[in-house]
Amino acid sequence: MIGVGDRLAPWIFRWRRWLTGLVVLGAVVAAPSADFTTLDNDMTAWFSKQDPVYVEYERFRQEFGGTRTLIVALEGDVIFTPDGLDLIRTVTREIERVDTVERVQSLTTANVVTALPETGADDAGGIEVNPLLPEKVDAGAAARVKARALGDRLMRGDLVSEDGRVTAIIVSFDESRIDEVRAGVIQKIHEVIDPRLPAGLKAYYNGSLEITESYNRVTLDNLYSLTPIIFGFMLLSIYVLFRSVTRTLLVFVAILTSVLWTMGLYTLLGFSYNVLSSILPALIVVLAVADDVHIVQHFDHEYRLSGDHERAFTSSVAHLFAPLLGASVTTALGMLSLATSDIAAVREFGMGAAIGVMVDFVLSLVYVPTLMGLVRVQRTAPPQERWLIGPLRAIAQFSIRRSGVVLATVAVVSAVALAGLTRLRVDTNHINFFADTHPLHQSAVLIDNQLAGIYTFQVMLEGPADSLKSPDTMARIERLERLLQTLPSVRKVVSHADYIKRVNRQLHGDRPDAEVIPPSAEAIAQELFLFGLADDGRAELERVVSSDFSRAQITVKMASHSSDLVFQEIASAGAMADQAFAGSDVDPSTTGSGKLFSTLDHYMVMSQLSSFGTAFLTVFGVIFLVFRSARFGVLAIVANTFPVLVILGFMGWLGITLNIATIMVASVTLGVVDDDTIHFINRYRREAAEGATTEDAIETATIHEGRASLTTAIINTLAYGILGFSSYKPTSWFGGLLALTMAVAFLAEVFIVPAVITRVRSVFATERVRAAA
Amino acid sequence: MLAFAAAIAPTIRAQAPKPGSADWVARQIQDRDTGRDSRFDMQMRMFDKQGRMRERHLRLAGLRGAEKGERADRLLIRFLFPNDIKGTGFLVLEHPGADDERFLYLPALGRVRRIAGEEKQDSFVGSDFTYEDIGGRELTDYAYAIVEAAAPWTDPGGKAWPAWRLESRAKDPTATYPRVVSTVLKDTFVVVAADNFNRRDEVVKTFEVRKLQQISGIWTALELVMQNRRDRTRTEMSVTRAEYNVGLKETDFTRRTLEQDAR
Repeated sequence: MIGVGDRLAPWIFRWRRWLTGLVVLGAVVAAPSADFTTLDNDMTAWFSKQDPVYVEYERFRQEFGGTRTLIVALEGDVIFTPDGLDLIRTVTREIERVDTVERVQSLTTANVVTALPETGADDAGGIEVNPLLPEKVDAGAAARVKARALGDRLMRGDLVSEDGRVTAIIVSFDESRIDEVRAGVIQKIHEVIDPRLPAGLKAYYNGSLEITESYNRVTLDNLYSLTPIIFGFMLLSIYVLFRSVTRTLLVFVAILTSVLWTMGLYTLLGFSYNVLSSILPALIVVLAVADDVHIVQHFDHEYRLSGDHERAFTSSVAHLFAPLLGASVTTALGMLSLATSDIAAVREFGMGAAIGVMVDFVLSLVYVPTLMGLVRVQRTAPPQERWLIGPLRAIAQFSIRRSGVVLATVAVVSAVALAGLTRLRVDTNHINFFADTHPLHQSAVLIDNQLAGIYTFQVMLEGPADSLKSPDTMARIERLERLLQTLPSVRKVVSHADYIKRVNRQLHGDRPDAEVIPPSAEAIAQELFLFGLADDGRAELERVVSSDFSRAQITVKMASHSSDLVFQEIASAGAMADQAFAGSDVDPSTTGSGKLFSTLDHYMVMSQLSSFGTAFLTVFGVIFLVFRSARFGVLAIVANTFPVLVILGFMGWLGITLNIATIMVASVTLGVVDDDTIHFINRYRREAAEGATTEDAIETATIHEGRASLTTAIINTLAYGILGFSSYKPTSWFGGLLALTMAVAFLAEVFIVPAVITRVRSVFATERVRAAA
Repeated sequence: MLAFAAAIAPTIRAQAPKPGSADWVARQIQDRDTGRDSRFDMQMRMFDKQGRMRERHLRLAGLRGAEKGERADRLLIRFLFPNDIKGTGFLVLEHPGADDERFLYLPALGRVRRIAGEEKQDSFVGSDFTYEDIGGRELTDYAYAIVEAAAPWTDPGGKAWPAWRLESRAKDPTATYPRVVSTVLKDTFVVVAADNFNRRDEVVKTFEVRKLQQISGIWTALELVMQNRRDRTRTEMSVTRAEYNVGLKETDFTRRTLEQDAR
């Protein structure tokens, strides 16, 4: 493999201008396609259309409509005043007019069933189904509305808080269209409500649509606000380390070209840009910086030794071909393992990242040395070389002389990290991603505490026609509702059984003891018929039970929690449903937006974890192939495991969960860590082949490759460390953990690898390497 | 609106509008001869958005009544099928200038209950039709305009009928369907098609007559379809028997009859 680089270098040098022309042309062509300012919101970016959870949700949605809602909570003391209720009526009507809005639930659309008193021997009384809000509301009517709303079990704690200070407006959409126009629709609803709010009334927005949209907003905001800062810090640190404007610009142009190629190819392949793929540019930048710094440093060094451009070019390519290929292939294969994921977005991210890594490899070998030939030669060593050589030599000598201390320290740190690892939880809490002061966080707290919570899931019941109104089924539904209420996070459970009980109570003169399911099938059928006589009743019924009573749903509302907890509670609910309907012809299943999103998070973390495992094995395999050496493969594994262990342990100790945001750091970590190790081992083996002693080979590898790694670490740490200050926690974690990763990866390279080589001389000593060759 | 049910449509007397004008057409729809009373046996097939069909058989009796010199119609609906709601009855007593009285008899409960609070634009017994579609609309609740003076309607048999396209705009801004554009036959004043618009001015419901026939000299829609585009539901009504002027009396439309006839 090393020979391939030697043979390839002159060929690349001969064709460098043509190849560079192609690279530039490609970047120019790709640039217009590399639009990463428009996020694709389609659900199918996250779920395969064949995924059972998605199929189940679609089946549910076709039957009962979507459950991905926007919840607007209004808080204040003026809700139950004539002005407050008028406002709710006005905004409800305005929201109903907004495109894609299918249904609005509010105090305005709520209906109350009232028992009418007997007026004589000939009149057994009756029932009245009326809107909760009368057409004209004065102070007396407002007080009556409040009393009615608080007295209704279905409304209290769901549509209105127990103290009457918070009320909800729940908006459902045509889910086949909403994702295309979501931002505009949500904005329009804000415009309907916000300007109308009087003093003393505040609006809070939440629900699965608002959460998803907030993600998109934050992603784009970060892109616009943080990208210039990241690049600014990056350029500054490159300049400080190389003290050369031309080299700084060169590296910047090379990085930009890699990003343009990657994102252009990503788009041309038909992949969609989303919250997940927004990490891609950052990943490519980190890896490109590492590759380009190695090339620039090597080129400069060789040029200063030989004074010859061609020699500097071919030497750089020949020396770096194998380590860059090894580093790139391992990272690319690790990323490519995501291509087997069930989630389209993860699949596309994996393939996009793999393509990006390989594109960057090619660009680094062809484009960067060619550009280096165009810039003025630096006669003196740059600051990074002068400043870093001394400390790195000292580190190399320390690692050799005190290898025992190094390995003992590694063992202690590993033990501490392992202890932290036991505290690490796989968990995504979307609300906690946002700072306590963020509107989404505040609205979740309000809705969770005052209303029925922001998450919902459904238990769908399916059986033969008419089976879902039989007395036996109704009894089982009641039993299941009681069981579901015992789940810790569950706040409200509603099914068509509740509607029947309400009608039955009103038909019996509003007697509380009559709030039961009537015993006969005919009575149930007739009360359901009665409830469905009115438009609103019919619409309400259609949302919970199919017209032929072959399908029904139980809605379960819960407070916001981590996805894992939601996932577990839904699984428990499924088990409860199975138990409640055992031996009947009704088949229960769980679905709804809560299940959709908790499963998605679960899938994402699991697919990343499995990819991470695969990537580890791949590193070993590729290093074996590149170096044709099992022992150096094992050494790479040891050196790669430590940084990952430290990062995960650090997360465990700090209570940072392994979630959809932080799991991406793991992928980047592996990409960075194995690069450093491969460069070091490659240099060590080269020095060994040229007859160096073990100590000299370690020192040379540490000084030269460690310098590039340290330079890369400083550049990326400074650039991405800035993200640590973001108020959006995933961004903050990503930046902070990435910065830490860079530092630990460098330390692993310059301390662990030399220490292991020194301690296990019988395997890794240079004479052994020469003998094996 | 519907020919068979327009017999019970209320008539509001007002100054006679100019012949051929939109108001005049609207008045003719209301005033056309639909008999003093009528009785229909009907089959109602309600399709949900999955295409599943529920069938209900019902008998509908109507009487053109009067109170204080104004129209005050009566309507009695008795469900015959399916069996679990068989015998369920529904009585509507109109009162000019006041809310209608509605009574329901549920056999399982055994007594008549008053039902209050339903609106004209509410669903007619859980179907895609509204009470307004069945009983006709209050003339003065709407403003009318002719949107197309020559809009021939072709019946399912291929015969073309001269017709107007009449727009009815609700004066009540909170109406569920604030605008309805109907196709009205010029020679019989029967409404044979209509588009109902929601508050976003989107067509949400479409009505069409599929079979129109003269029975006892009165033009009667025997097959009608109301399709709800938003909810993707549909209700088909077939009149299997239609009788006019059968001698129904006020006493046939009381709470007692509602209860006793079910037994």
